[in-house]
Amino acid sequence: MARLLRGMAIVLAFFLPVALVAQALPQTVPQAASTPASPAASVTPSAPGYGELPYALPPAGSYALPPLGLAADGKVLDEQGHEQDLYHLFAGKYVLLSFIYSNCRDVNGCPLSSYVLYKIKARLQQQDADLADKLQLVSLSFDPERDTPAVMRLYGKNFQYAGPRGDWRFLTTASEAALAPLLAAYKQDIQREITVNGAQSDDYSHLLRVFLIDPQHRIRNIYSVAFLHPDIVINDVRTLLMASNQQPDNALQLAANSLLSRPGDSKAGYASEAYQTDSLALTQRQGEALDLLALAKNPPLGLPPATADTLSQEKIQLGRKLFYDRRLSFNDTFSCAMCHIPEQGFTNNEIATSVGVEGRSGRRNAPTLYNVAYASRLFHDGRDSRLEEQIWQPLLAHNEMANPSVGYILDKLRNTPDYQGLFEAAFDGQGIAMQTLGTALAAYERSLLAADSAFDRWYFGKDENAISMAAKQGFQLFSGKARCITCHSVDKDKGYALFTDQKLHNTGLGYQESMGIRPAKRRVALAPGVFVDVDQSLIDQVSAPPLKDLGLYEITQNPADRWKYLTPGLRNVALTAPYMHNGRFASLKAVIQFYNQGGIPNETLSPLIQPLNLTETEMGDLQAFLETLTGSNVDTLVADAFAAPVGDLTQADPNWANQLDKQPPETSP
Amino acid sequence: MPIIKKTPLLSAVLGAALLSVALLPAQPVQADETCMSPFMAKITGQEDYVYVWTLGVEGLGDGQDKLVTIDVNPASADYGKVINSLSVGGRNEAHHSGLTDDRKYLWAGGLDTNKIFIFDVATDPAKPSLTKVITDFTAASDGVVGPHTTYALPGRMMITGLSNNKDHGGRTAMVEYTNDGDYLATYWMPTDANLEGAEKSGQFADGYGYDLRALPRLNAMFTSSFTGWSNYMMDFGKMLQDEEAMKRFGNTMVVWNLHSRKPEKVLDVPGAPLEVRCAWGPHNDWCVTTTALTSKIWLVHKDAEKGWQATEVADIGDPAKIPLPVDISLTADDKGLWVNSFMDGMTRYFDMSDPFHPKQVYEKQIGKQVNMASQSWDGKRVYYTSSLLGNWDKKGEDNEQFFKAYDWNGTELVEKFAIDFNAEKLGRAHQMRFGARSLYTQSRPETASNKLAETLVK
Repeated sequence: MARLLRGMAIVLAFFLPVALVAQALPQTVPQAASTPASPAASVTPSAPGYGELPYALPPAGSYALPPLGLAADGKVLDEQGHEQDLYHLFAGKYVLLSFIYSNCRDVNGCPLSSYVLYKIKARLQQQDADLADKLQLVSLSFDPERDTPAVMRLYGKNFQYAGPRGDWRFLTTASEAALAPLLAAYKQDIQREITVNGAQSDDYSHLLRVFLIDPQHRIRNIYSVAFLHPDIVINDVRTLLMASNQQPDNALQLAANSLLSRPGDSKAGYASEAYQTDSLALTQRQGEALDLLALAKNPPLGLPPATADTLSQEKIQLGRKLFYDRRLSFNDTFSCAMCHIPEQGFTNNEIATSVGVEGRSGRRNAPTLYNVAYASRLFHDGRDSRLEEQIWQPLLAHNEMANPSVGYILDKLRNTPDYQGLFEAAFDGQGIAMQTLGTALAAYERSLLAADSAFDRWYFGKDENAISMAAKQGFQLFSGKARCITCHSVDKDKGYALFTDQKLHNTGLGYQESMGIRPAKRRVALAPGVFVDVDQSLIDQVSAPPLKDLGLYEITQNPADRWKYLTPGLRNVALTAPYMHNGRFASLKAVIQFYNQGGIPNETLSPLIQPLNLTETEMGDLQAFLETLTGSNVDTLVADAFAAPVGDLTQADPNWANQLDKQPPETSP
Repeated sequence: MPIIKKTPLLSAVLGAALLSVALLPAQPVQADETCMSPFMAKITGQEDYVYVWTLGVEGLGDGQDKLVTIDVNPASADYGKVINSLSVGGRNEAHHSGLTDDRKYLWAGGLDTNKIFIFDVATDPAKPSLTKVITDFTAASDGVVGPHTTYALPGRMMITGLSNNKDHGGRTAMVEYTNDGDYLATYWMPTDANLEGAEKSGQFADGYGYDLRALPRLNAMFTSSFTGWSNYMMDFGKMLQDEEAMKRFGNTMVVWNLHSRKPEKVLDVPGAPLEVRCAWGPHNDWCVTTTALTSKIWLVHKDAEKGWQATEVADIGDPAKIPLPVDISLTADDKGLWVNSFMDGMTRYFDMSDPFHPKQVYEKQIGKQVNMASQSWDGKRVYYTSSLLGNWDKKGEDNEQFFKAYDWNGTELVEKFAIDFNAEKLGRAHQMRFGARSLYTQSRPETASNKLAETLVK
């Protein structure tokens, strides 16, 4: 019974794949059936190498063939039985190396590779004669027991009709032991087949791989059955020959400065079916370093005097490196810049509230870092007051950078090779410590000063033509009827304006969220111009419980402070959408409309928030004014950020997975 | 040197009576086994194992990602059981995996940490081992984030990215590695600012990426587009309520020159086209995809005059209810397409006899949520898993996590067994790949299946 089962299984196992292949392979007729290397006429070959290539190849030299690693050397026997180094036989040329065995019968195996090599050699006679002394053809047997040098010599004679030009060697090895390291190096995983009675047959199984090797012994392409075609091989050889003459790939110009301060893939107009992408290439995201210390010491027009007494180039540069280093997070995925993205106003234009390590939800919108040097209170609830100290909140918060302890991050930096000596150089010999890390990061942040806006040139610089009439009227509203200036302060007498009172107020937005006041349906964009109204219940199926946020109350425990949030400065506000502590509004227009309605009534709503009764024109003017607050130097700061290195995990860094092969498993004594 | 591995290996024959394996070269013979790269060996008979790339869940079991091996051979004493679980450290947003062309190594990516875990599945197919971790994918590739599809090319792996290390948005690239895990090259998706020679055929060139498949006989490669790190890592409900975030989805597919790795044409396929499957038939010059947000089947087909075109060919469920089609699986004869939709937990079978007019002929709810579908080469077995993304899966009791095995008799799915990944403290079950002992003749470990084989010999 067992014998019967085995026999049935063998039959099925043998024929099922054959049947499938026969059904699906294209029926290609061999182009040159009479050539010595062509397969038997009774078999229909399927590989494209036997026929015309059914598509046009890219022009030689128009693409790259990056090196795939070194081709191995080894001892082989030539046609006369002399032992030779494979490299010696490569003869300093481009090499097409094929592993074969002489009695192989599969038309899409060795006969295919020998046929293709034959066709290439034939082309070296005339059509591609210029390659004849540049290309070496090599067939190497992986059956040394049967394929002696004499057998290989005879095998090679089959192909002599290709013509005299070009060299084609037919090699073998002295033994299977001599062959083994070559097979391993070229990953020729052969298996001698087993016959139905369990004995070893004369046939081998392996994946066809033919190698194109350059004169530096680097593998430049590997051809399987689908790709082994004379046209492709010769095109690749010509491409490699042309490589030294190739122009740099699409040399790109640095985007004009005016383009820098915007998301890389603009979604402006996405609500319309007529939306068209306007995406930038990440390869264009290049910039020039700026003298940040000079900027910090000489703030642009409209800003208060410098706060840069203790800054130095070394501290700023170290802080800049740290700021863009994703290894500062627990799992090496998050730098400060992943939430404070330079070209997005040093905030994130693409999401309302932040997302941290492992995608953990943040409660609040990432604030801009422009001019953060002047902030006397930090975070939307004002919980911190000094930049040098606030860094530990994002570094340690479970839903931000998630480091498990202060010591963890300091030790990690101490063991990271590219920080060796940098802290000592910046801090008079002091190494990595809480204070130096905080001071370095703060030094960079303190240099991000952006002003000298059109408004500044008009208001402080007395340039009447700096802003439009609408913007001037908007500022009148800002200072008058709209009462914005009550919280978004301007110190005209002192010659500067930060547009914030550095205080916290309740506008009702936090209250609304805490109380779960929301519509039953929500409009969701599925594609440009395509929307559906989705039941909130459906959204709830895939929503984590909402995160509670009580604002300043969380710091003071004073019920009067519920839902109070810090007044943000308005400089560069056109660059920092979406707006409010929870990113609730996508546009300045929506923000103005919200305040025009008087916020959202609740027990502790700020008395400063009241209906404004602004007309549409007035709201437009107000927006026009806000759009004049973009600093003239923001693009230089963005360009400087583009020039900064982005830190990612490297093989040199302390990470257990980098030492996987060096970790002996624990064993019992 | 046969292209067909006609080795009825004793271990396989005895352990799995119907197992057969074909080493199929780069020909239009493919089937998931029908979704595998055409550049590798195929299991055309009964598979022995399914490897499930599983996301760790904070607070569940050991909390980390793992490769779970399930014995799916009905002839095995361990049929229907988890026979191995290999934890890899951390929660990396385990997502997709792919085998090398020699089918000896399984490359499994982490969309969050950008690590690629390389498992040896040849030495002991019943017990894969972790041999290497590529830790510097992002640094080596000049900033690509979110290694997704790991697709075998001869001696190489092509990996699609989903995001980048500059803004965690959707602009990204493909990255090519050697089978040894050495970085080769980065190929950026075409954008308006740099189309890289491609034709922008419609309104969009977003530079986004997701899946990758090839039609070697036409020298064509196809990529689709999803979304960046900020969205795929974000809580799903939070994202749906974020107006800005919902604008950051891909609306394109790109046709590439397979040989030169250069983009040739950007096609408009709005609504996040995800999985791509290319037809197997030698005259079927088309690939199929589904759009996650707009719930459509799209055909990318070669027009004699206009070249590659993308055409919307069918709705999936009621698009207004956002069923969210996710994984698809094309049958080996190109005539059937399984389409899973996450939100309603449904699997739907479409008759693709006329690929321009797919017709749904069957549907079944697999669970409260479902993502991946993998069918055997002969289409008689279909396996399902539940997880979409760590923070997109349903919450509370709706968060079923399972592996389910079905037989498909042509008219209905019959459940054979299920494994509760929550109860087993494993995590979120995601992508499946098949294994078979007979692929590796020189490795015949002592497994329950082999013992069964010995029993049969007696």
